[in-house]
Amino acid sequence: MAAKEKIVSREFPEYIRDPNPDVGLDESIKDLKPEQIEKTIMAVLGAQTARIRAVMETCIHCGLCAGACQWYLSSDKDPTFAPVAKMKMTAWEMLKRKGKVDAEFIKQSARIVFTECNICHRCSMYCPYGLDITFIIGLVRRICFMLGVVPQRMMDQDHSHATTLNQVWYTQNDWVDTMQWQEEEVGAEFKDLRIPIDKEGAEVIWYPLGGEPKTNTYHIERTAKIMMVAGVDWTVAGRDTWDTSNMPMFLRDFTTMNRVVRGLYDNAARLRVKKMVLTE
Amino acid sequence: MLDFIRDPSIYNLVRGPFVWIAFLVFIGMSVYKVRRLYLMAKNEKVVLPSIKIGAAGRSILHWIFPFGSRNWRLKWPVTITTFVFHIGLIFTPIFLLSHNILWYESWGISWWSMPEKVADIMTLLVIVTSVIFFMRRIFAPEVRFVTSSNDLLILAISFFPFLTGFLAYHSLLLPYKAMLILHILFGEAMLIAIPFTRLAHMFYFFMTRAFMGSQAAGWGGKDW
Repeated sequence: MAAKEKIVSREFPEYIRDPNPDVGLDESIKDLKPEQIEKTIMAVLGAQTARIRAVMETCIHCGLCAGACQWYLSSDKDPTFAPVAKMKMTAWEMLKRKGKVDAEFIKQSARIVFTECNICHRCSMYCPYGLDITFIIGLVRRICFMLGVVPQRMMDQDHSHATTLNQVWYTQNDWVDTMQWQEEEVGAEFKDLRIPIDKEGAEVIWYPLGGEPKTNTYHIERTAKIMMVAGVDWTVAGRDTWDTSNMPMFLRDFTTMNRVVRGLYDNAARLRVKKMVLTE
Repeated sequence: MLDFIRDPSIYNLVRGPFVWIAFLVFIGMSVYKVRRLYLMAKNEKVVLPSIKIGAAGRSILHWIFPFGSRNWRLKWPVTITTFVFHIGLIFTPIFLLSHNILWYESWGISWWSMPEKVADIMTLLVIVTSVIFFMRRIFAPEVRFVTSSNDLLILAISFFPFLTGFLAYHSLLLPYKAMLILHILFGEAMLIAIPFTRLAHMFYFFMTRAFMGSQAAGWGGKDW
């Protein structure tokens, strides 16, 4: 077998990876202009805010965060997977060059922050200063998102949320129809089982994840059975704000992320429910 | 060159105005930097309301004592090195007999001073742990990858006052007076450098820990 071709970073020769073609990264960088990149970076990272400055002016580069990262631990302790290394290769380099980086660098940053970090916050638990490394990675994600350089699947989920407020391109009709269909299905087993839609004054409002009504509909009927047996006074949302899987959060698409969360709270307020119960 | 360094007027300079400059810059700039970070946090709106005093205090306490946190226990060689280094770095200059005498002569203040032998050992430990840190920067892959020249610079800034102090005390390498003047200069350089470099973690430690301790408590967890 021929040796696989590797990708070696121009800026950081230690950063060697297998090719990982993705339309969202490879195609979207073609139209980027340098001034656009510079403006976006300085707007996001150049801001003099406490959470950015605290990390920049405190991190002593001790490498103690490395042991926290599952990417680092599961990649034979490759130093380029350490959380601090990810900051160095993205945010620090961007700031060092005052935003004057090229499209290829943005692609490399996008690969690092989207596909080599799960923004789990574990590194902050291992940092002697408790620095919010994830926050910085999130800002780099925001830069990449604003430039449109995002892995295709993630960008598609974000578009789905922006359009339909759920992850799976479900319309409100699809959603209400699925709830009624599931109620019918279970009717064969439990004749009194109901899936109340938009019931005012219910105690609990239940929110599924996007995939449940779309591909795992049996989750719906099982939840309904549990609620019935437990005697919970429950309801589901009748509007299209029912999906709690907030994918825009992972892109730091603040606008859509805000709409998703606001929709969930709006339902609860409108129906005067006491508790919100989420799948997860 | 040596005669120049040993010149009494140089001694008077580093012992007089330079000390004032060093302390004023150190204290003034440190207050400014801490205040600046606090004001930025205030402007950011989400930072200060998330602070929980109890969680912040517990987070600071767990990390300020050796082996108080999970990572201190996992990385025990680093923990031992860093605590020996920092204890020596902070307490030796404050409780050194010779420093106490200088304060007494200048300002008429003095406090408890540690036995000379203990101070000598602690200085030596700071020198040794500095070298260990330097080796770690070179030989630990995850540290080497993120090491830049200013990491070595701030290590040098905290290393040389102790090296020259040790050499002066034992009259090694250079005549006592010359080494002493170098020692004072390096000490003053370190004081001035603290607020301007990432040595500011001396103060920021408490602020960043307070924030992350509170964040973790908000998520229903702990960060130690």
